[in-house]
Amino acid sequence: MASVTLRNVTKAWGPVKGVDDQSLQIADREFLVLLGPSGCGKTTTMRMIAGLEEPSSGDILIGEHRVNDELPKDRDIAMVFQNYGLYPHMSVRGNIAYPLKVRGVASADIGPRVEAAARQVELTELLDRKPKALSGGQRQRVALARAIVRTPQVFLMDEPLSNLDAKLRVSMRAELKNLSHRLKVTTVYVTHDQIEAMTLADRVAVMSEGRILQLGTPETIYNDPASVFVASFIGSPAMNLIEGHLRDGVFHTTEGALMRLPPGLPRQDRGDVVLGVRPEDISVGAPGEGDVDVTVFAVENTGDSVLTTIRLGAERIVARGDRYQKNAIDDRISLRCDPAHLYLFDRSSGERLR
Amino acid sequence: MRDRTLKYLLVAPAVLVVGATAVWPLAESLRLSLYAGRLSRPDFPQAFVGSSHYAWAFTEEPAFWNSVAVTAAFTVITVVLTTLFALAFALLLAPGGKFRSGVQSLLILPFAMSPALIGVSFRFMFNPEFGLFDAMFTGILPAAASINWLADPGAAFWVVVVADVWGWIPFLTLVLIGGLASVPRETLEAAQVDGASGWRVFRDVTLPQLLPVLAVVIILKAIFSLKTFDLVFMLTNGGPGNATQTLSHYVYFNGFKYAEFGYASAVAWLMVIPMMVLTYFYARFVFDRK
Amino acid sequence: MNARTRKRVLAVLQNVAILLFIATMLVPIVWIALAAFKQHVDVYQLKLVFTPTLDNFSRVFAAPYFLGDKLINSTIVATITVLIAIPIATGAAYAFSRFRLRGQTLLLVIILATQFVPAVVIVLPFFLMFRDLGLLDTRTGLVIVNLAIVMPFAVWMIKGFIDGIPIDTEEAALVDGSSRLQVIRNIVLPMAAPGLVTAGIFCFIIAWNEFLFALILTSKNAVTLPIGLALFKAEEGDLWNLMAAAGIIIMVPMFVLALIIRRHFVQGMTMGAVR
Repeated sequence: MASVTLRNVTKAWGPVKGVDDQSLQIADREFLVLLGPSGCGKTTTMRMIAGLEEPSSGDILIGEHRVNDELPKDRDIAMVFQNYGLYPHMSVRGNIAYPLKVRGVASADIGPRVEAAARQVELTELLDRKPKALSGGQRQRVALARAIVRTPQVFLMDEPLSNLDAKLRVSMRAELKNLSHRLKVTTVYVTHDQIEAMTLADRVAVMSEGRILQLGTPETIYNDPASVFVASFIGSPAMNLIEGHLRDGVFHTTEGALMRLPPGLPRQDRGDVVLGVRPEDISVGAPGEGDVDVTVFAVENTGDSVLTTIRLGAERIVARGDRYQKNAIDDRISLRCDPAHLYLFDRSSGERLR
Repeated sequence: MRDRTLKYLLVAPAVLVVGATAVWPLAESLRLSLYAGRLSRPDFPQAFVGSSHYAWAFTEEPAFWNSVAVTAAFTVITVVLTTLFALAFALLLAPGGKFRSGVQSLLILPFAMSPALIGVSFRFMFNPEFGLFDAMFTGILPAAASINWLADPGAAFWVVVVADVWGWIPFLTLVLIGGLASVPRETLEAAQVDGASGWRVFRDVTLPQLLPVLAVVIILKAIFSLKTFDLVFMLTNGGPGNATQTLSHYVYFNGFKYAEFGYASAVAWLMVIPMMVLTYFYARFVFDRK
Repeated sequence: MNARTRKRVLAVLQNVAILLFIATMLVPIVWIALAAFKQHVDVYQLKLVFTPTLDNFSRVFAAPYFLGDKLINSTIVATITVLIAIPIATGAAYAFSRFRLRGQTLLLVIILATQFVPAVVIVLPFFLMFRDLGLLDTRTGLVIVNLAIVMPFAVWMIKGFIDGIPIDTEEAALVDGSSRLQVIRNIVLPMAAPGLVTAGIFCFIIAWNEFLFALILTSKNAVTLPIGLALFKAEEGDLWNLMAAAGIIIMVPMFVLALIIRRHFVQGMTMGAVR
């Protein structure tokens, strides 16, 4: 059983807390993504699971076994590093074989297992090259092969795709997804890229400033965010966040009344709220048809859709429509927000109001 | 003025200085070695003798071979010892942190002592009457205290070795710390995760990546050891007898005590040959990194 | 014992080893420094606790040692060497860095190689030449030979610094209409100034500590500090405390200078082979 458990784990350097009293339970064979901006503590958390950093307090368990005092090599884990950490003086074959060699696997067994791992990542022709003669994508696959050659209990991946160019990143995402499905190993994956999180994860832990803000499936995180931070971190283009106040069940901005809130959302009068609505949940129509009439500020055709930006007082709102929309700057249009996908947040705490 | 002319003008003074102060004397030294040149005689230089100085050094002069042996032994031993100690200390100091950085800064101090100064200091400390080491040995290792270090040929050689190694460890340690810093931390962590213990991480991952810097260190120290003069002059002046007479000191002795300029130049030029070989290898490291 | 305890024990052992190491490195220096303040009697008795005295320092400056003259000679020779070497080296370093010259690699190799030539090889021709030119026992002669030693370091160090300055600002200025010389004066020199100072200090240290040439090419008037130290050697025993005082006078300026440029020491000595 290769579950991973964190219980009240803290990592502090003097007064600075990289990870602040966090608990987390990862199920066996789950693909968990730690998502957040740089400095949020996601990499520190993973390094503590690996044993490369010691927690200041708290317990880390792999399976039922407390591993705080164990060295990385005794935890039966494998790791893919952000810059791959390949051994430059060894060939690809040597790199992949190293975990087996250093643990005393019989040399007769090493060869076939290296070949098997290389085949899984399609590296069989490159086994005799040195890392410096490989491209970025190839090096990344060597790092993967080295991790899977041993069938450990837990895989750890530290932003493995961040050094690849955009196109390669997309194709490697699919590769990773397929590989993890086939291998069925508990995986902890660290990234700042929300698309990677959405596409690869069974569950996502969104982190900021050393704390997990929300833990849930990608759908939950996307459709039911717990705070402004989570809501605006996931989704591209980001969720529109409009400041205003509630009176008589109507949401008002500084420009005036915006819309009547549908049932299901909090209705008390409040002074400081933020209304959230995603670009794809706003539709554009002729003036008078929707919730509010506005003037077009900018139009961007991304090929698969059209993003229309409008200005509301000091705020900008982006609406995403299908690619055949034809509006021009300074046109008058109307916006209609889908009532099923509106969110209200408290302005000072950022918490979601239910 | 066009760049084309300017660039040669900018380089010219330096080239002239190097040419006049290094290249020309080198050539002149070679010329001197071909003449019988006893400086004390008024008719300097005397007859052209071709390569007879060289032949004589190799066949008739045991003192020459003594210097060669002393220099060779000294070079090999000091290179090995200094490198090993420097590597050990670099590994201790590399991890960083306030304590270690502070110690690293202190390493500059011994390095700012010139070899001549080191020679004097060690002569002071190994003095049989009031030397620091004599006192320390009497307390800890009485057998060692009974040796008159600077008067015994075998012992004196080792004193010179110890002084030289002591003097060069700080510099080589700093170089190796820089080399260790350039080994990517991820390769070490990957090895730890892969299953390697501390020793195996060092042997399989750190050391192979450190080899280029290690080679630079070894070549540099070899060159400095071959050239050693100041330390020997101040510590033992080649003695007792000629037990610690390195080639540089032998040249100095013949040139300025016996005034045999021709012969001294010949021996000096013989020293140039291993220098050129080492310089070739060193240059490879300097230029390959461009 | 588990892995964590083992790690703690190892850490303690490492710190002990480091302390032993730094003690070994510093004890000789400290011992000499102490001797400089000791009276002659205390030196013989190996005392650790003693009444310090500044007598030694005043004695070394007086007759018959006149360390003050040697101090002046060292300072003048080192300073003038640096003042000549740095501008010449900077010009060459800039040219090597920014231009492609024919035979550039060869020139650089030759400059590098001269550093590794043993001083004994070239001191003999210098002696003869200076004898004929009347340059023996002069500060001018010493400056010339120190230039020989110092120039390769200067060129390589400064070239290293200039290589590290981005070329964009110069190219922008050239496009704007500056001449190459104006670019060097207005842009490169100010940006390279810290590097020039570092190289200057490095060369100063080398010239200050230079031994063999000073030994052979001077006898009375132009004797420098390291050779002044050798003069104490002639009469044994009595004078260790004086020699230590002289040693302190030689060392202390070098300590201060070395601390100032300590970040660049490795780069300077290895001429760019490391880092």
